[in-house]
Amino acid sequence: MHKIILAVRYFLKRRITHFAVLAVALCVFIVVVVMTVMTGLVRDFKQNNHNFVGDCVVGTESLVGFAYYEDFVNILEQQKDFIEAVSPVIKSYALVNVINTENNPGLEILGIDPVKHSRVTNFANTIHYQKGDVSKTFVPSYDPNLVGCVLGIELAFERDLNGNYYYPNTCPRTGYSISCFPLTAKGALSKAGTGLVRTKTFYFSDTSHSGLARVDFLLVYLPFEQTQQLCGMDGPTKRVSAIHIKFKPNIKLQTGCEKVAVLWQKFKQEKADEKQAYLLDTVTVQSWKNYRRASIAPMENEQTELIVMFAFVGITNVFIVLVVFYMIISHKSKDIGILKSIGVSNADIMVLFSGFAFLVGLLGSGIGLFAGRLFLLKINRIEDWLFERFNWQLYDRTIYTIGDIPNRVEFNVLAIIALSAIVACLAGALVPSWQAARQKPLDTLQVNQL
Amino acid sequence: MLKLFLWLRYLRKKKIVFLSIAAVALSVSLLIVVASLFTGFINTFERAAVEAIGDVVLAPLNKFAKPTMFAKYGLFIERLEQTEAVEAATAMLSAQGLLHLVEKGNVRAVAVWGIEPERRVKVMGFDRFLLRQRNSGGKPSFDTNGSEEKLGGFVGIGVLGEPDEKTDKYDFDAIEKMFGEEVVLTTGTVSQEDPDSQTRAEVKRKVMKFTIADVVETGVYQFDKGCVYLPIEELRKYLYPQEKPVASQIQIKLADNTDTDVALAVIRGVWQDFVEDELGGNLFLMNANIMTAKQIQSRQVAAYRKQMWILLLIFGVVSLGVVLLIFCIFYMIVRLKQKDIAIIKSCGAAGSSVAWIFVGFGSCVGFIGSGFGVLLGYIVTKNISTVEEWIRIIFGLKLWKSSVYQFSKIPNEVNWFWALVFVLLAIIAAAIGTLIPAIVAAATKPVEILRYE
Repeated sequence: MHKIILAVRYFLKRRITHFAVLAVALCVFIVVVVMTVMTGLVRDFKQNNHNFVGDCVVGTESLVGFAYYEDFVNILEQQKDFIEAVSPVIKSYALVNVINTENNPGLEILGIDPVKHSRVTNFANTIHYQKGDVSKTFVPSYDPNLVGCVLGIELAFERDLNGNYYYPNTCPRTGYSISCFPLTAKGALSKAGTGLVRTKTFYFSDTSHSGLARVDFLLVYLPFEQTQQLCGMDGPTKRVSAIHIKFKPNIKLQTGCEKVAVLWQKFKQEKADEKQAYLLDTVTVQSWKNYRRASIAPMENEQTELIVMFAFVGITNVFIVLVVFYMIISHKSKDIGILKSIGVSNADIMVLFSGFAFLVGLLGSGIGLFAGRLFLLKINRIEDWLFERFNWQLYDRTIYTIGDIPNRVEFNVLAIIALSAIVACLAGALVPSWQAARQKPLDTLQVNQL
Repeated sequence: MLKLFLWLRYLRKKKIVFLSIAAVALSVSLLIVVASLFTGFINTFERAAVEAIGDVVLAPLNKFAKPTMFAKYGLFIERLEQTEAVEAATAMLSAQGLLHLVEKGNVRAVAVWGIEPERRVKVMGFDRFLLRQRNSGGKPSFDTNGSEEKLGGFVGIGVLGEPDEKTDKYDFDAIEKMFGEEVVLTTGTVSQEDPDSQTRAEVKRKVMKFTIADVVETGVYQFDKGCVYLPIEELRKYLYPQEKPVASQIQIKLADNTDTDVALAVIRGVWQDFVEDELGGNLFLMNANIMTAKQIQSRQVAAYRKQMWILLLIFGVVSLGVVLLIFCIFYMIVRLKQKDIAIIKSCGAAGSSVAWIFVGFGSCVGFIGSGFGVLLGYIVTKNISTVEEWIRIIFGLKLWKSSVYQFSKIPNEVNWFWALVFVLLAIIAAAIGTLIPAIVAAATKPVEILRYE
C-alpha cells in the first residue's frame, strides 16, 4: 500500500513529473495520429488489393497463358466445402485507340465474365452505370447491340480538386479500337486472321473504380470470349492467364490455398501426357497477398521505416523520464533511507519507483491517446477547412488516389503505442530506481546529512 | 571567463548533461537525414526529367489541343541553335507500341521514341546511358554490327528483364546476350477525320522488326522499364510513309547562364516566326506548349515537397521533447548548484549574469549536440546505400527498389541549407529549454541559501 501512496504522492508533489507526462503525451499523440493514418492507408490498400484479386489465384505470368483450364475450373467448382466461386481471366497488353483521336496508349487488358468475376472479387461494386445488373456490364446503355468495355476510372474521367469523379448522367458513347498480339501456344506470334495483330472495336459501357492507382490508370476490362480471340487463346485448346478463386467465409486463407495447391498438383500430373502440358509448368498457386506482394510490400516497408524513426525519436522520452527520476530520487534520499530502515527491501524500492514510472507512462499515454483520438475524429473536417480557407490538402487528390484521410482507430495499434510508452517510462526509470535501491540508510540518515 | 569555467565544470561534473547532448544530436541527425533524402529525391526527380527530355520541351498541339507533329524540324532546330539562349536541340517522334521479345510470349507495352542519337548526346548526354557504346568514345549509332539491312534500335534495360528481387540489380550477362536479337514492335497511327472529303478517322497498325543495337540504362525506372528508341527517320517511314520528315517534340538544351524566362520567350519567338514562314501560319501550331522540364514536373514536385514538410513537422514536434529534457536537466543542475549560484551572487554578480550562465550553457549544449547531429546525419546520409544494404542482409528487408522509388540509386547528398536550419533551431530550442531554470537561478537569494542554519 505504501508503494501506491508514495507513487501518487511523488506524482502530485513533484511538479517536474508533469513534464515527463507532457513529453510522453506529446510523443504518443503524434505517433497515434501518424500511425493511424499510415495504418489506415496500408489497410485500405490491402483491402483494395484483396477486393481486386479475390482470395487465391492459380495463374501464370506468361502472356501465352495455360491450357485445360476448363477441366480445372470444373474440379474447383466441385469443391463446395471450401470454394465459393471461381473466375477464369485473360490478361494481356493492348494498344487502345480512342476512335477519332490520335491517342493510342499501350494498356493492360483483362478479359472477364463479369458475373463470375463479381462472385470472386468486388468488381460489381467498382462499376458505376451498371451497378444494379452486373451481367450487363459490357452492354452499352446507348446501343445494346455493341460490344462494351469497362475502363479504369482514371482512363475515363477526371477528378476534381476534392478527389471526386465527375460521372456524366448517361454513359458517353465512345469507341475504342483495341489491338493485341495473338500468341500461339508455343509463344510465337500467330499469323492467322488479320496478320500479326488482331484489332477489334469496343464501346465504352462503364468504368471501374478499384481504388488501386495502377489498375484505375492502366486497365481495360473486356468480355472474356472476345479477349480470348484477341490474344489468340481461342484455339482448339483454349487458354487463360489465371483462375481467381474465392473461399467460403469460414476457410482460412492459408488452408484454402494449400488445398488448391494440392488439387493443382494432382491435376498437373493427370494432364502430364497432354500436348500442351508444358504450359502448366509456369502456373503457380498464390494467395492474394503473395500475388500482389510487389505492390503491398513497399507500403509495409514505409510503415516499418516510420516506426523505426519514431522509435529513435522516442529515445528522448526515455532520457526525460531518466532525468526526472534521477532528480526525484536525489531529493528523496531521506524517504528512501527511512523506508529501508523500517525493513523495506531493495526490490520493494525498485517496485515503488517502477510503479511511479508506470503511472507517468499510463497518464502520459492516456492523455496522448485521448488527444490523438479527438484529433483523428476531426482530421477530415480540419483538412476540408484548410482546403477551403488556404487551398491546402494533406494529399493532393488530383495526384493521389485517396479519398478521405483514414481515421479509423485500430485498438491493437493504440494498445501497442500505449504499451511502448509505458515500457519507455519503465526503461527510463530503471537506472535511477536501481540507484535508489542501492542507497544505504546509514549514509542517508546520518545527522550531518539531515 | 567565469562563465566558461562554470560551463566546463558542469559539463565535467554533471554527466547527465551528455544525455541532453545525445538527445539533441539524435533529433538533429534524424531531421538532417530525412530532409536530405527528400530533397535529394526531389532533385534527382527534376534532374532525371532534364536528362530525359532536356531543359525545355516544345510540343505543338492540334485543334483538339492534343499533341501533333510538324514538318521541317531540321530547319527549326537550325534557327534555334543560332540564338544565344539555346545550346543545342533535337527532334523526337513519339508513339506507343507493343514489343514482342524473343522469349516465348513475352510482350510488353512500351513508349516508342524516334530520336536523333548524335543531337541527343549534345542535348542530354544520351551516350552515357548506352551500355555497349558508352565507353567506345565514338558517336552513338543504331548500327547492328555492320549490317545495313537490319534496322537497329535501343531498348530500355527494364524492358529486357526485371531487376533482382533482393538486390535490385539487373543481370547484365543475360542482358548482353540480347544484343543483336531481333524483336517485333507493333505500333500504329490514326488518320484524321475530314468532314470535307467525308473520310473517317482510320487506325493503321504498323508492325516492324528491329535488332537490339544497344541497351539504355538511365537509372530512372519509368524510362528503363518502358522505352524503345529508334532512328527518327526510320520510325517516321513506318508510321507516316507519305509524310516528309516530321517530329512531335523538340527537346532543347539552354546555353549556360541563360535566364529561363528569357530563353522561353526567345524560343517562342523563333517558333512563331518558323510557323509563320514555313508552316503556313497555322494558329493551332503557333500556340505550341513550350515548357521547361521543371515546369512539367512541378505538380509532382510540389506534392513531394509537401510530404517532406509534413514529415519534418511531425519529427520537429516530437523533437520538442528535447526542450523538455533540457529543461529538466538544467532545473536539476540549478537546484543542486544553489550554493554556487548564491556565492556568485554574493560576489556581486547580477541576476542577468547568473541567468546568462545557464542560457549560454544551454546554447552550448545545443551547439555541441547539433554538431554531433550534423556529423551523424552526414555519415548516415553519405552511406545510406551501405546502411540499406546492411538492413537487407541482416533483416532481409529491401527498403529501396527502383520499381518503387523510380531511381536505381538512393540520393545521398546532404542538404546543407536544412542542416544549418536544424542547427540553429536546435541551439534556439536548447536555449529555450534553459530559460525557466535560468530565471530560477537568477532569482536565488544568497542570504537564504548561505545561512549557516
